[in-house]
Amino acid sequence: MLRLWDAIFCLLLASAAPVLSASTRSFENSAIVRTIDLGGSLVHVTTTFAIKALEKDAKEYTITLPEDEILNTSWLEVKVKGKQQPLTVSYSGSPAGSKSYNLDVILEEPLDVGATLNLVLETVQTHATRPWPEKAAQGEEQSLKYQTFLFVLSPYKTNVQRTKVKSSSPRIISYTTPERVEDFTLENPVTKSGATVTYGPYNNVPSSSTQAFVEKYQQPVELHYNYDYPVLQVLKLRRAAEISHWGANINIQDDITLHNAGPELNGHFSRLEHQTQSFYGRGAPHVVPMVTIHLPAGIRNTYYYDQIGNVSTSRLRVAPSAARGQKNVQSSVLELKPRYPIMGGWNYTYTLGWDAPLGDSANYDAKTGKYIVSVPVMTEIPGSVVNDAEISIILPEGAIDVDYVAPFPSVSNEVSTHVTYLDTIGRPLITFKYKNLTNRHTKPIYVSYRVPISAHFRKPLAVATVLLSLFTFAMVVRRVDLTIHKTAAPTKKM
Amino acid sequence: MSTAPPLPQNISASTVANTTSLLRILALGLISAAAIASRLFAVINFESIIHEFDPWFNYRATRVLAAKGFYEFWNWFDPTAWYPLGRVVGGTVYPGLMATSGVIYNFLHYFNLPVDIRNVCVLLAPGFSALTAWATYMFTKEMKDPSAGLLAAAFIGIVPGYISRSVAGSYDNEAIAIFLLMFTFYLWIAALKQGSALFGTLAAVFYFYMVAAWGGYAFITNMIPIHALVLLLMGRYSGRLYVAYCSWYAIGTLSSMQVPFVGFQPVRTSEHMGALGVFGLLQIVAFATLVRSHVSSKQFQNLTAISVVSLGLLGALAFIVMTYKGWIAPWTGRFYSLWDTGYAKKYIPIIASVSEHQPTAWPSFFMDLQFLIFLFPAGVVMCFRDLRDEHVFVIIYALVASYFAGVMVRLMLTLTPVVCVSAAVALSSLLDTYVDVKEPSLPDATEADKKPASSGAVGSHAGTSAAAVASSTISDIFNAAKSTKTSKPKGIWGTDARIVILLNAIGMLVFFVFHCTWVTSSAYSSPSVVLASQNPDGSQHIIDDYREAYYWLRMNTPQDAVVMSWWDYGYQIAGMADRGTLVDNNTWNNTHIATVGKAMSSTEEVAYPILRKHDVDYVLVIFGGLLGYSGDDINKFLWMVRIAQGVWPDEIQEPNYFTPQGEYRVDDRASDSMKNSLMYKMSYYRFSELYGGGNALDRVRNQHIPKVGPTLDYLEEAFTTENWIVRIYKVRKEDPLGRDLKTANAFAQGKKRKRGRVGSRRRAIV
Repeated sequence: MLRLWDAIFCLLLASAAPVLSASTRSFENSAIVRTIDLGGSLVHVTTTFAIKALEKDAKEYTITLPEDEILNTSWLEVKVKGKQQPLTVSYSGSPAGSKSYNLDVILEEPLDVGATLNLVLETVQTHATRPWPEKAAQGEEQSLKYQTFLFVLSPYKTNVQRTKVKSSSPRIISYTTPERVEDFTLENPVTKSGATVTYGPYNNVPSSSTQAFVEKYQQPVELHYNYDYPVLQVLKLRRAAEISHWGANINIQDDITLHNAGPELNGHFSRLEHQTQSFYGRGAPHVVPMVTIHLPAGIRNTYYYDQIGNVSTSRLRVAPSAARGQKNVQSSVLELKPRYPIMGGWNYTYTLGWDAPLGDSANYDAKTGKYIVSVPVMTEIPGSVVNDAEISIILPEGAIDVDYVAPFPSVSNEVSTHVTYLDTIGRPLITFKYKNLTNRHTKPIYVSYRVPISAHFRKPLAVATVLLSLFTFAMVVRRVDLTIHKTAAPTKKM
Repeated sequence: MSTAPPLPQNISASTVANTTSLLRILALGLISAAAIASRLFAVINFESIIHEFDPWFNYRATRVLAAKGFYEFWNWFDPTAWYPLGRVVGGTVYPGLMATSGVIYNFLHYFNLPVDIRNVCVLLAPGFSALTAWATYMFTKEMKDPSAGLLAAAFIGIVPGYISRSVAGSYDNEAIAIFLLMFTFYLWIAALKQGSALFGTLAAVFYFYMVAAWGGYAFITNMIPIHALVLLLMGRYSGRLYVAYCSWYAIGTLSSMQVPFVGFQPVRTSEHMGALGVFGLLQIVAFATLVRSHVSSKQFQNLTAISVVSLGLLGALAFIVMTYKGWIAPWTGRFYSLWDTGYAKKYIPIIASVSEHQPTAWPSFFMDLQFLIFLFPAGVVMCFRDLRDEHVFVIIYALVASYFAGVMVRLMLTLTPVVCVSAAVALSSLLDTYVDVKEPSLPDATEADKKPASSGAVGSHAGTSAAAVASSTISDIFNAAKSTKTSKPKGIWGTDARIVILLNAIGMLVFFVFHCTWVTSSAYSSPSVVLASQNPDGSQHIIDDYREAYYWLRMNTPQDAVVMSWWDYGYQIAGMADRGTLVDNNTWNNTHIATVGKAMSSTEEVAYPILRKHDVDYVLVIFGGLLGYSGDDINKFLWMVRIAQGVWPDEIQEPNYFTPQGEYRVDDRASDSMKNSLMYKMSYYRFSELYGGGNALDRVRNQHIPKVGPTLDYLEEAFTTENWIVRIYKVRKEDPLGRDLKTANAFAQGKKRKRGRVGSRRRAIV
């Protein structure tokens, strides 16, 4: 249960107070279309609600998500179709006696009776798939299982709803055929065409978030499909961003524990087989020989090492630093090759870091005298989920008025002091902790602070003072004679 | 007084003194910088990494020290080494190196300089080489003058003989030991010269540091007593010698016994008895001197005769009895091998199997010392010219170190400092003579020649007398060659004669610098953990198979897994893979190593129970056949066989691994013992398949491997690195049905059981 609250907390702004659930009569769903993009670590779900207001001034629309899905969902956003600005979503308790949760969406403008609107709910689920079979030999294929519920729940009546499940390859090994759906459809309850499996359309679904409906009709459906890309998990990400004003530099360093969450390697790794496979270009999908990462433009001093030293097998193409406001900024591309190909179930840890010009990510606001620096929460490793992330931002020594804006709420954050490189009072350190980050979370944290001019000179002064006192001490020592009695100069010969 | 080129006059003496002092400090600073810089090839060409084998243990121990503090380190019992025996690390290491790094690390962190402990370790040796240069300067200054000292410092700073053990990343005891050696010697000389108990005590303190840092401290333990003894025999006993030696010995010995690994050795082993004996002798001589000043000479002679004879007999008898009773440990094997180079090969193959314990080849003297080796004897002869106490020390040092350097390659290291000192003395005498701008006086003013002259380039005042002595030495030789002992003036006339000699000398020095740089960069700067080769386009290609395998072990095997490998790789596995090992480079248990050797050289059936009894999970072998990497396990295999044979002469016999013609082969003519040995099987398992049925060529031994490769029943391949250098095998657990694994395998592959052999095969292996 704790985990659940964590999840909900992550998803929603903590400050949003629960609002009384809106009446189930205020809206009607003309249509609900849910599209599930099957992946490895990440599953993208897009649900479109075509809603129609039944009451005047209907402003709050309620979406119901089952508990299992809430647990898996790491990112959630509701938009009006065709608009950029996401709507405010708040948690509003669960429908009586059911294992699901209501999310209230505040519409921008109240709808009149009969007015319609298309709402798009986008979620990213992590850890939603599991490899099946759980073990695969080096040459075998990789297949995963994904489970979801048949019906999209809604407190409102739904005229028609369907669920499309898309896989990246047409080789879907099996899928569940739903039962007890005769009330909603007379045709085939599920159809498969190519790489898509469609459940529905199901017509005239009543208010479905009630306990009665769930018990009677709701049922899990499971898909077993081939997946041609590795399933990667970053078990742990520790990012440290250090800002230096003297060097006009921002250093970002990631400590990463990478895990291949695909089927475990059955038997043992044979280099011979691996070399043959890569020679003929038919490597197994669950082997990770290389990861391609897009780093910011204009970076320098990139380093990549692990616990026993430098890893010399990577390749980096640095894109030049782009002018501010320029569109289509190229990114540097790092082809990161681990020491060994990461087979299913194997781990690899490494540290990747780089320096970037501070000007590329910082701004000075002359009005307030504050610097504003943006630090991305993470760098995406394609198709992977970050289970645990800790992002620390180290500001220059003596920075005051520290303020920050995170793009989405963190599990926890704190401000502390970090002492390094000849510091006297230490630097402000802001730490954010996150769970289950996905490619939708690669947004920047904005930190603003002020650095008084005296803070810039603190370090040179401290070093100069110490050196000067050393020299003074040496001078005094040279000039003071402490011998008790003078001895004759030693003879050279015996 | 006439000079060849005119010299500026009217410069005050204090200006000269200040300028020389500044120049000297600058020169020493530059020498330190050069010494550090020339050791950084390894970091620049590769990376900041710990080199070779032993340093990995030191590094691991230092990490424990830095992370957990000194007391944890002191009490550290490492259960993963020498599995299942374990190792009491705190009591079996020389902790000086780790303590030094730990102190530096904590010092830097106290000042908020977050330097990684690895970088402290990597750069420790270059840093200390700068200190060595300074210590050598101080030492040579005592021998001759500061200008010779500067030359010696420059020599030791870049000489390959010392660089070979102190490049960045070569984090071994020798890294700090040479500094301690030279500095202790300097302090000893200073104490002896001044009769100073303070310097004697300082010498003892640094001797203690040396004892804590390197097993080679026994060199000091014997050098100083020999020096004292020789001085005694030369009739040079004095109060100064007594004070210096007694303060050094008493404090040094007591403090050295505080190192747990040394313990009571200073009073119980033969290596230390010399120092004790000289200590006793000095007391007797001091007492005799005291008595002599109180009694008449006739009585004294009788007294001396009687007491010397009786005391000598008593001492020798006591020594023999104590050795016989075992109170004094007899000489160790390592010590015997210093006197008889064939000893180790016969009795302790494990010592002989180390390449750095081999006798030195002649070319390596030139490689390591270049032109210093020619100047070395000249410098020693110079010491005879002016035989002060400290010169006796250099002569003894030169003799002893030359012998040892000839016996063992690694002892080249102890020879290097004295070569640098002697060569600097010789070269600086030459330079003093020829840089000196003073023209020889006319015949009527021959006496003026004896006056102190202002010394040449450096112009130091302290050394003028020595320089004059040296220059007269050269002139003596010069004149002797003419064989006319007339009253003709001695010296060098004109500028051209000077320039010819000086250019020649400078040329030699320049070549020396080039030679040192070349040797350092090409021979001594490879980490050996990482191999370098070139891509077709000339860029560097790093072959990183070792770390690939070690990191795989670290990341993807259970934390408590035990890895069996030949002992060379023990420290690396512990350091990089963080897994338990059976044997490692601390070769204290010959039987355990022989057990591993036996497992490697036996058949699978014989080896399997050994592996299981030792809880071995993985077996690691080094195989260079694909790449042509010659330092692999098949080439070391004969040592494994020999060491195993030493313990199990009935089961393992070296001749069985050769062909009937006496050749060491791995192709289809290899002997049966060879082909069935675990090592052979693990090395060549599935190797020929890589060539797809073609001719599989072992590029190290240039032999073709049979098309049908060896099969494994009791082990299975777990990991092989990119270039096949490291191959790791997993030891299979017993068959759940109680069959032996060979039968189980055959069954799994669907082979038909042979009739009549069922019964004998059913036996379960424990």
